[in-house]
Amino acid sequence: MTYQTKEGGQLEAVSPTSLTIRAGEFTALVGPSGCGKTSLMRLIAGLTPSSGGEVLVFGQTPREAQRHKRLGLVFQEPALLAWRSVEDNVRLGLQLNPRETHSSTNVDELIDLVGLSAFKRYRPAELSGGMQQRVALARALAIDPPLLLMDEPFAALDEITREQMRYELQRLWSISHDPTEPPRSAVFVTHSVAEAVAIADRVLVMSPRPGRIIADIPISTPRPRRPEHEHSDRFVNDTAIVRAALRSPTTPAVPLDAA
Amino acid sequence: MISKPISDLDQLNAAPARRIPLALVDLRPLLGWILPPLIALLLVAVAVEIWARVADVSIWVMPRPTTVLENFFTDFSRYFSEGLKTLGVSLGGLALGTAAATLLAAGVAHSQILERAVLPIAIMVKVTPVIAFIPLFIIWFGYNPAPKIAIAALITYFPVLINAIAGFRDVDPRMHDFFRSVDASTWEIFRHLRLPAAVPYLFASLKISVTLSLIGAVVAEFFSAGQGGLGAVISIEYDNLRVERVFAAVLMLTLIGVTLSTAVVVAERLFSWRLDQPVSAS
Repeated sequence: MTYQTKEGGQLEAVSPTSLTIRAGEFTALVGPSGCGKTSLMRLIAGLTPSSGGEVLVFGQTPREAQRHKRLGLVFQEPALLAWRSVEDNVRLGLQLNPRETHSSTNVDELIDLVGLSAFKRYRPAELSGGMQQRVALARALAIDPPLLLMDEPFAALDEITREQMRYELQRLWSISHDPTEPPRSAVFVTHSVAEAVAIADRVLVMSPRPGRIIADIPISTPRPRRPEHEHSDRFVNDTAIVRAALRSPTTPAVPLDAA
Repeated sequence: MISKPISDLDQLNAAPARRIPLALVDLRPLLGWILPPLIALLLVAVAVEIWARVADVSIWVMPRPTTVLENFFTDFSRYFSEGLKTLGVSLGGLALGTAAATLLAAGVAHSQILERAVLPIAIMVKVTPVIAFIPLFIIWFGYNPAPKIAIAALITYFPVLINAIAGFRDVDPRMHDFFRSVDASTWEIFRHLRLPAAVPYLFASLKISVTLSLIGAVVAEFFSAGQGGLGAVISIEYDNLRVERVFAAVLMLTLIGVTLSTAVVVAERLFSWRLDQPVSAS
């Protein structure tokens, strides 16, 4: 059974798009720079108003989803509060809009899960980029959101950390989730094909601007995924399909702009 | 956007364990900063002393540093108690000016209409020599400390306003997005994002306005000599041609100024989460 989480509408940077992301599914959005991946994500998060069409998150408007704290956001930059400790940064989402804080998240446990229990009292500036991004991830997960929205969360990290974070994210994504909510879904924006194939259940390929979804590719590698899987035939095969979609006739072989 | 401790109430439960070592604890590195200017000052004083003695300079023109010091210590209780009055006016004005400017800045940071209405007026006040209002203020507020405090407040107002507006707006847009994504209220965004972000800016402006408030207080006291304060002492002793007393009063003002500025720096070390200060508006 599929569970409709949302429908995409049209927006300035993105041409008419309709997509449904199934509950419990990890969806990656890949495409060339400037194709509107971020715009689409901001639209889903209710941070950019839609110029037409409709976005529904579990049958609610993005505004309502915000109000009920059903969205967990992670950005390319950690965007942490410099004056707060790791612990208090993770707690932020629980502390804001407290009437909607129903999650029983144990902040200590969450910090433990992202491997930062020794750094609870540290400030973001004292941590490495990868550690900061883990704090951002823990902060997003602290409110136990049924939908996790991530905009190139690992793009600013070094390659070694980036590859490590893929599998860490997979593990974190599936942790403690309120059973009364639909199973947790994720939308993961990236411009790394390997990253998308390694993490996602489903890869959506977008065309250059005005962006639209030109391919919808299911990823067959079973879960839980492990780094070794990146050498498997399935992985190589899926990667080739995504790459081919990115190069398809509607897409110029060489990206028009690197903007 | 990145660095150290904090200022608001958050810090009480935040991370007192990891504090920057304070200069308060170890004074030795401070000596390297304090000794050279002290020695330079001493050399200048000695040079003036020799010049005043050798050239037999009139006491009405340039009293000998030893004469000034002698008077300063003989009449210390007078300079001290008058100094306290000046300090009171200065601090009162600083508190009033800073509070009013911070409140207005909070409004301006949230409303473009308020910004358009208020900023031109604030700039008009800024370009007007505030000192010119003193006689008027005395007429309005009467022969009491109020007009002096009002002048000190007015003179400190502008740098705080401009810096606070910049601080309240110096907010990471992604951070702001996160607050919105959990439907944080405007108050929550202000309390947990804008206000702490503005703290380094507030300290930068405080460094400027603390000395400005002292200027305002002294000049205002020139105009109300009957009420005391070091400005009044200077005004009276100038009329009496007791130049060494004028110098002694100035010396006390210098001490007050140094104390106030040091207090701001120490407070900044204790309460600000950022040590690399943003450029401050003058």
